[in-house]
Amino acid sequence: MKEVAYYPGCSLKDTAKGFEDSAIQVSSDLGVRLKEIDRWNCCGTVYSLTDDNLMKQLGPIRNMIRARDEGFDQLYTLCSMCDNTLKRSNYLIQNDDDKRDKINNFMDQENDYSGEIEVKHYLQLLRDELGWERVREQVSNPLEGINVAPYYGCMLTRPKEIGLADPHNPTVFDELIESLGGTPVDFPYESECCGSYNTVDNQEVVLEKTRTITGGATRSGADLIITACPLCQFNLDTRQAELLKATPNHDPVPVIYFTQLMAVAFDRPRVNKFEEHAIDPRKVLKIENKVASKR
Amino acid sequence: MNEKTEVETVEIFIMGKRYEVPKGLTIMKAMEYSGYQYVRGVGCRGGFCGACATIYRLEGDYKLHTDLACQTTVQDGMYLTQLPFTPAGREQYDLEELEVDNNPLLDLYPELARCVSCNTCSKSCPQDLEVMDFVNEAIRGNIKEVAELSFDCIQCGLCAARCPAEIPHHHVAQLARRIYGRYQAPESEHLEKRVKEIANGQFDDELEELVNLPKEELEERYENREIEE
Amino acid sequence: MRTGKLKSNEEPKEDPYPESMRESIKKVEQTREERIGKEVDRMNPDEREQVLNKYHPDYREEGMRGLDAGPNQGDQMPLELADLLEAYPAVDPSEVDLTKVDYEVDVLVIGGGGAGTVAALWAIKEGIDPSDILIATKLRHGDANSMMAQGGIQAADREVDSPKAHFLDIVGGGHFANKPELARALAKDAPGILKWHEDLGVMYDKNEDGSMKTLHGGGTSRKRLHSAKDYTGMELMRAIRDEARNQEINVEEFSPAVELLTDSDGTVTGALLYNMETEQYYVVRAKSIVMATGGFGRLHIQEFPTTNHYGATADGLVMSYRAGANLLDMDSVQYHPTGAAFPEQIVGLLVTEKVRGSGAIPVNRDGEAFVFNLEPRDVEAGALIRECYGRDMGVETPTGMKGVWLDTPMIDMIHGEGTFEENLAYIYRLYTRFGIDPTEDPLLVFPTLHYQNGGIEIDDEGRTAVEGLFAGGEVEGGVHGKNRLMGNSLLDYNVFGKRAGISAAKRAKETELGDLTLEHARRYIEELEKAGVDEERRSPMLIPEYRGEEALSRSIDII
Ligand SMILES: Cc1cc2nc3c(=O)[nH]c(=O)nc-3n(C[C@H](O)[C@H](O)[C@H](O)COP(=O)(O)OP(=O)(O)OC[C@H]3O[C@@H](n4cnc5c(N)ncnc54)[C@H](O)[C@@H]3O)c2cc1C
Ligand code: FES
Repeated sequence: MKEVAYYPGCSLKDTAKGFEDSAIQVSSDLGVRLKEIDRWNCCGTVYSLTDDNLMKQLGPIRNMIRARDEGFDQLYTLCSMCDNTLKRSNYLIQNDDDKRDKINNFMDQENDYSGEIEVKHYLQLLRDELGWERVREQVSNPLEGINVAPYYGCMLTRPKEIGLADPHNPTVFDELIESLGGTPVDFPYESECCGSYNTVDNQEVVLEKTRTITGGATRSGADLIITACPLCQFNLDTRQAELLKATPNHDPVPVIYFTQLMAVAFDRPRVNKFEEHAIDPRKVLKIENKVASKR
Repeated sequence: MNEKTEVETVEIFIMGKRYEVPKGLTIMKAMEYSGYQYVRGVGCRGGFCGACATIYRLEGDYKLHTDLACQTTVQDGMYLTQLPFTPAGREQYDLEELEVDNNPLLDLYPELARCVSCNTCSKSCPQDLEVMDFVNEAIRGNIKEVAELSFDCIQCGLCAARCPAEIPHHHVAQLARRIYGRYQAPESEHLEKRVKEIANGQFDDELEELVNLPKEELEERYENREIEE
Repeated sequence: MRTGKLKSNEEPKEDPYPESMRESIKKVEQTREERIGKEVDRMNPDEREQVLNKYHPDYREEGMRGLDAGPNQGDQMPLELADLLEAYPAVDPSEVDLTKVDYEVDVLVIGGGGAGTVAALWAIKEGIDPSDILIATKLRHGDANSMMAQGGIQAADREVDSPKAHFLDIVGGGHFANKPELARALAKDAPGILKWHEDLGVMYDKNEDGSMKTLHGGGTSRKRLHSAKDYTGMELMRAIRDEARNQEINVEEFSPAVELLTDSDGTVTGALLYNMETEQYYVVRAKSIVMATGGFGRLHIQEFPTTNHYGATADGLVMSYRAGANLLDMDSVQYHPTGAAFPEQIVGLLVTEKVRGSGAIPVNRDGEAFVFNLEPRDVEAGALIRECYGRDMGVETPTGMKGVWLDTPMIDMIHGEGTFEENLAYIYRLYTRFGIDPTEDPLLVFPTLHYQNGGIEIDDEGRTAVEGLFAGGEVEGGVHGKNRLMGNSLLDYNVFGKRAGISAAKRAKETELGDLTLEHARRYIEELEKAGVDEERRSPMLIPEYRGEEALSRSIDII
């Protein structure tokens, strides 16, 4: 079995457990072991744009150092926020000599790092390393007739230096959905921000974003939305529950992780922890009465 | 002025003031040698209590070192001071009422989320613990890992004094250990059983007999007692 | 499992041992292989008697004298202690104003170590409001011998064990001088104490099924020693202290008690505290008082180094004795067989018995084993002294100290690599800090002053002979007779801290606050005068004097 170094990040160990469990399951079906690196720390959640505060870069860079010191040269992520932060810090250290020296000087307990690790998102593993054909081979429960809205959010594709797809017209989710036997729907808000951390102290903003994005998806005929971001998933899912209270005629649409969708197509629905979702996706995925998988 | 002795000495600076002390003393003994009598800044004198947290620099070295005065040998050119106290907020809690499934660590100490993984805490730990690692485990709610990684913590507070995110690591760790011990460590059945037996008076008679035995007979019982291999 | 990891020191170190010691180590290495798995015979009662008589410091007549004043007149005890007991009160009774009371509480606990904190917690369980309790302590809360215990705590909780077997070990180890009802309480309460600890979240070493990992200690007939790595005392003390903080018990730090206060009947009604930082006194009025000031290692009896914390200076004995408490077994002092003898920086610090319990044995300078590794402490200590001074088979350090080797590399050889670092993290850290790796090289050890076997006489409810005064922990006597077994004093502070706390609470609920006088101190001063005691001698000591001679010789008091 192929082994790749994997960086989970904090959310996947906590609120997004279904994301991690489904990813580990489908990877193993695809013949890949996600080896969680032995030591890792929080990525810092948001890439720091303050130019003169390099302190915020230490966290993400230390994770690359850990992966390198464990003997890897690539590090895979799942959470799109972690992916974004790690990649951008890595980009910084690869391209800014002064800052690199400063950071290495400060982190005198670690061996110097200059960007040797290649940070990759799990979608890149699927698309570029394994290929869609390999994914297709594993599908035992094709998602026939299911319309899926690909939701990229802000983090996966931007900025272009580190994005994994064309920020104006990303297609990786579409390709994945097709490989799983489902139908990608064209959907205008695929890269719209979900409101992000406004969810903490400015919930109105997030509610409004949720209304726009989920409404856009249903109007485009989507049965569900997929994402790679725990914060987007949380916002769009839980805030819809609130929307429903305020506007009973809101048409709810489940929001799930792309790996959960894969798990359904691979007939491994039980790893998904769908019961924890605010908007239950089991009905639209036609796995409501599934007690055990065929496998 | 002084009688010259053979003892090799080193020059140290206690809070900036110069003293000459015999080589090979601990910082604590060197301060005493110099005439300081401790009230604060000393407890166990053996590396257990964390009362003697010390900060020092060496001449010509930009580094700020941290260690325990009772466990560190003085070096020539050492500029030192002890930290008599570290203010660090500790949260009150009721162990029996904690919602242990909802990451009580982050709940009681939300400042954990301010960690930027700069690792200053680990660098300042005189016990060489991986403090930053347990802070990260705490953020993730991995109580067992926090408990194990922090087990040797002597609560000196040096990490808390140095942390740019202002986390009271040692209090977080204490909380984690107690939660682990109370809720997650496997229960000891033989202990529970024995406690019940004692409560039921099961050993009362034989103990009563022993308590009243004349010394000679007690001695005999002792010498002939069975010894587990 | 990843545990708190120690960083290796990158720089190659020079040999921490001087040439002469290294040569002896080579001999130890040569005999190591054949010593593994071979036990030295235990001594028979006659041999034990002989070793003790000839080599144990307690049997050195020059080190002892009888008392001329107080309830224990005529009793023999170490000179250093006798001089403190027969000393004038540090506070002149005529200098303090007892009419201004700073604290009125139900229960005053003197000493914020293990026993004191446990007493306070159980007083709360007995119905006293935390705000009606005060713990007055000398250093910080928890700066105490209790924090330093390494090896473990005894409790007969395993199927093969029983309180009866525990009782026999206690009294046999104590040379049958124990008060039997105290020994019974110790054995019988033990499992319940461990259960209480578990409820407080103490992390004992366990197997995966939850059963306790236990070892033999010196003089135990069952594997009964429960541990938390070799930080057992710290793990207990910090959890218990944390609970006291949650309960919001008032703690006055750096404010030792310096004298008890009594009413005209001699009942203890309060205490004088002394703020060591501002040098002012506080008057406390209390319905019950628990004395929990611990031991006396810092008296350096017979010039021995000690394992004890800085505040172990017999203050509680001094104060209680003046108030009329009776002392037991003060002629017997515990020297721990294995104190560090090298390097100089850590001389006297403890190398826990768990090291011997895990298979390391003492060997002489030729690498020969000369004593069973787990004799009762006094016997083991006597045997080490005999080896060094009776048979001249010890190893000398550059400062002229003698010791024998404790062959620590045996532990990983017996139990597998990594065992030492995992289970004896403190010792590993203690020595590697000074460049010595105990898994590679043996450690030089010699007996060190460790424990006050005797103390204030109590009954099995923790009551002393003085009305209103209770005691628990190392300060009291009678529990261990003439020799305390390892793991029984952590237990002691829990069992008798608890019993004293409960009794104190019960009394507080039934009594009113009393009058405050220093009558008992005045009476004691008269006795001292009659006995012709040197006027300069003052006590309690509070803190030991370690200032350099040069500095002291020029010390003057003008501010
Ligand atoms: C290094 C070491 C290792 C040990 N290992 C073990 C072991 O493995 N197993 C075991 O069972 N036992 C062990 N012991 C013994 C055991 O730890 C102690 O006997 C026990 O903890 C004593 O508890 P205590 O509460 O009575 O005293 P302490 O814990 O010493 O507490 C007494 C407190 O009272 C304070 N105090 C003193 N004078 C005053 C005053 N005048 N006013 C106010 N406060 C005062 C002290 O500063 C201290 O805080 C060890 C002891 C040491 C020193
Ligand atoms: S005095 Fe306790 S750790 Fe140094």
